Amino acid sequence: MSQKKILLVEDNEFNRKIVRDLLTRQPYSLLEAHDGEAGVEAARREKPDLIIMDVQLPKLSGLDATRQIRAEPETAKIPIIVVTSFALSGDDKKAMDAGASAYLAKPYSPRQLLDAIRKMLGDA
Amino acid sequence: MAAPGISERSAGFLLSHTPLGSIVRAVARLRLSVHFKLLAAFLLVAVVVALMGAMSLEIITRMSRQSEAMHMAHQRVSSARQAQHALAMQMSFTAMALVLRDEATIASILRENNRLNAMLAEIEEGAPFEEREIIQRIRTAQGEVMATVADVANLVRDGKIEEAMRLQLTTGYPLFQQVEGLVEQVVRIEESGMGRLRAATALANRQAFYLMGGLIIASILLALLLGFVTSWSFIIPVREAQGFLGRLAKGDFGTRVIVPNQDEFGALAARMNDMSAELCRLYEDQREAAHQLETLNSQLARASQAKSEFLANMSHELRTPMNAILGFTEMILDDIYGEVPAEVRSPLEDVQTCGRQLLRLINDVLDLSKIEAGRMELSLTDYSVHEVVETARTSLRSLAAEKGLEFTAEVEPDIPLAYGDGKRITQCLTNLVGNALKFTKEGTVAIRAELDGERVVYTVSDTGIGIAVDQLDHIFGEFRQVDASISREFGGTGLGLSITKTFVELHGGRIWVESEPGRGSTFHFAIPLRMAEVTEET
Repeated sequence: MSQKKILLVEDNEFNRKIVRDLLTRQPYSLLEAHDGEAGVEAARREKPDLIIMDVQLPKLSGLDATRQIRAEPETAKIPIIVVTSFALSGDDKKAMDAGASAYLAKPYSPRQLLDAIRKMLGDA
Repeated sequence: MAAPGISERSAGFLLSHTPLGSIVRAVARLRLSVHFKLLAAFLLVAVVVALMGAMSLEIITRMSRQSEAMHMAHQRVSSARQAQHALAMQMSFTAMALVLRDEATIASILRENNRLNAMLAEIEEGAPFEEREIIQRIRTAQGEVMATVADVANLVRDGKIEEAMRLQLTTGYPLFQQVEGLVEQVVRIEESGMGRLRAATALANRQAFYLMGGLIIASILLALLLGFVTSWSFIIPVREAQGFLGRLAKGDFGTRVIVPNQDEFGALAARMNDMSAELCRLYEDQREAAHQLETLNSQLARASQAKSEFLANMSHELRTPMNAILGFTEMILDDIYGEVPAEVRSPLEDVQTCGRQLLRLINDVLDLSKIEAGRMELSLTDYSVHEVVETARTSLRSLAAEKGLEFTAEVEPDIPLAYGDGKRITQCLTNLVGNALKFTKEGTVAIRAELDGERVVYTVSDTGIGIAVDQLDHIFGEFRQVDASISREFGGTGLGLSITKTFVELHGGRIWVESEPGRGSTFHFAIPLRMAEVTEET
């Protein structure tokens, strides 16, 4: 069985590196996109098993990208973990309304993220 | 105001459809005091009454004079009649003397002659010229009569009866007739004089009656007129003032009262107009000030909004690197990059502690900016009070242990599921417990949660430094710590309590504190167990 594909949509290099490093010794392959549009495009093209979506993204916000992915039948079923750094009350609700499967507030603990990924992919 | 009555309406008609209106206004315009106007009106009526008194006195005097004149006229008529009677008696006695031929009868003739003369004298007094002339002729004729009578008497005494009778018939009798005619004239003159007098008296009486009646009616009309005019010259300005005050009361500042009066009412109206103008000016000033305030206010609101947005954006910008700092630190400590040497682990843990502290600070600043911008919203769900207390206890357990403090948590069993923003309530409890741990050097920090009716009361007590009485009111303000030295010794920004208070109040709850310096503090906050669902909508 091939490694499960995770798509990370995140514009900040350091935050991408955290996820990259976190997943190095995990049985997952990581794809990266730097903005919302590229994220939607990558999802369509690669059909990953899981998407980690930042909210504050250039070009297209993480929430809009999530909505687009959900709107397309081919990608509609992919689990999406939405990550935001605003952490306003109601952000979780907005994320869920846009179609997120789970929601994490920045700064998150890498351990927490890994737990969430495993839970989503049924590897917990 | 009551609906105008009939008298009111008729007064209105009189004022607008008759010259009375202009008279009233003219009286109002008179440059005289109200006092003087009233006095003049009463005086005028009094003068008319006095005039009537004087006239009636005059009439009474005249009537008594007339009745006296009537009395005299009666007497004169009576005298004339007596004169006539004396003459007749004289003639009769003369005839009797011819028959009886005695001295007594002759003497009676003389007596009657004397009576006639006496009566004539009475009439002559105060008689008009022509009457006196007639009386004079009577006297002359009577003289001749008496001469004839004397001759007749002598003839009778001499026994010459035949001759006496002849003389009497030829001379005496015609003379008698002449005198009789003249006396008859006097009687008629006197009688007609009395008739004239009677008619004149009747006429004068009638005239007096009409005059008095006219005067009475005139004085009543005058009193009514004066009463109407003076009272309405006062009522009109009062009415105007009433309307004016009504408009003023409705906020029509600057309205004016216009009255024709140049008396006290006029002065009052002028004062009221001054007052209205002043009120108008004040109102304008105030509106101007309010407008400026509004402008300032909106400027302030915009500035505050900009500040809050800046803070929110800054918080976001700070969180992104914080995520990396805390994330990498955690992963290093989790040995993801390989085994961490023991001597590096401790400073790395310090980095993590300080990073978390910095994060809390950033969170506080973000919360505060949202509170200030009025954009703080609660995320309402079911939550467990046990979990709230457990989370607060777990996150601070290590700090308590580090400081060697006794740290207890007690939750009343069987508290039902609560409804509200559990995360925020946890944040509140954590803030209070964190403060308690921070300000307590030795002793105990205790958490308690219990149900009090429909409310959950959280209590955090410590045996720390306590708070002075004069500081108790201020500690929930932003950036408040008891004093600057506290901040140096214990650190912290003073945002925690302010944010805690806001969250408690957003839940419809209440926070309060009891403290004694040196003995410790006890903070309580009470939150409805289940917030009303409607609160979520707002």
